[in-house]
Amino acid sequence: MAAVTGVYEIEVVRREWIGRSTPVTAGRYPVEHDPIRRHCQMVEDRNPLFLDPEFAATTRFGGVISPPTLTDYFAGRGAWPPSTEGAAFIRQVPTRGDRLINMNQTLEFLRPARVGERLASQMVIVDVYEKPIRLDPQAVWIVFETRVTNAAGELVSVTRNTLLTHRSPDAVAADA
Amino acid sequence: MTTAAAPAQRYWEDVSAGDDLPGFDLDLSETKIVEQVSGSQDFYAVHHDRPFARAGGHEDIFVNTGFTRAALARLLTDFAGIDGWVCCLSYQMRRMNRPGDTMRLRGRVTRKYTAEDGSRRVDLDLWAENDREGVTTPATATVMLPARG
Repeated sequence: MAAVTGVYEIEVVRREWIGRSTPVTAGRYPVEHDPIRRHCQMVEDRNPLFLDPEFAATTRFGGVISPPTLTDYFAGRGAWPPSTEGAAFIRQVPTRGDRLINMNQTLEFLRPARVGERLASQMVIVDVYEKPIRLDPQAVWIVFETRVTNAAGELVSVTRNTLLTHRSPDAVAADA
Repeated sequence: MTTAAAPAQRYWEDVSAGDDLPGFDLDLSETKIVEQVSGSQDFYAVHHDRPFARAGGHEDIFVNTGFTRAALARLLTDFAGIDGWVCCLSYQMRRMNRPGDTMRLRGRVTRKYTAEDGSRRVDLDLWAENDREGVTTPATATVMLPARG
């Protein structure tokens, strides 16, 4: 996170960041089989709609689709090579600490994303506020939305995420 | 290709409020933590680096959001079957699932109805739990199910 040293003014951050958004940015790669396979392996999901092209071709989807919670991955730039888009945008919001935890998410799934499709995403900062937690009495919370669209510009999914950022215990003690 | 058979198709008429979902368990072994990083592509160190997690005030590393929501989504796609559709999922990361825990994914139908657009839907309560913390991740969801005939 963009942890600020010295004076931190939450009202300034709110004024400058709430409503700020990224451009609509294309995912680095199309929806692909192998990330879907790794995603399914992680949670021991054997669903052939996600894993078996021959089976998936016989369904109403006509082919393998992404599991619902993986569409934002395909709409993003991925972890490598480093990018200043997507998740990196959220990390630019000034905070007190450099530690972060995802707290709440609400996801809407509107359309399937088939292997081979190109997805894109846009992120918008919805809210930034302070709320104490056990580890940090001045933790900063960020709410942002990610809208995923397909090549036709149709909404595929919308995710609203609440992210908690906090200082380490050592940093809290140093700032006291 | 050797994948499992498709989940048995569940129809709207066959579901009632109060029905429990079959659910499943995930043993959070050290290997599962590696699969978590591979499957989620989340390389934030608090989810795999114990000294980093402890320096941040946590007792141990813990599984990430990508893992948790994928597990909840599997619960839903198994329930919906090939002809159903997961409409929405909302969850709260309240407590942690850590290596050594068995993460249990469970759910229950809370409401069955016909939506304004005519689709047949059910609302569900879902949760992840473990022996150490109890419920770690409460969730709600809506799934569209096919109707018979």
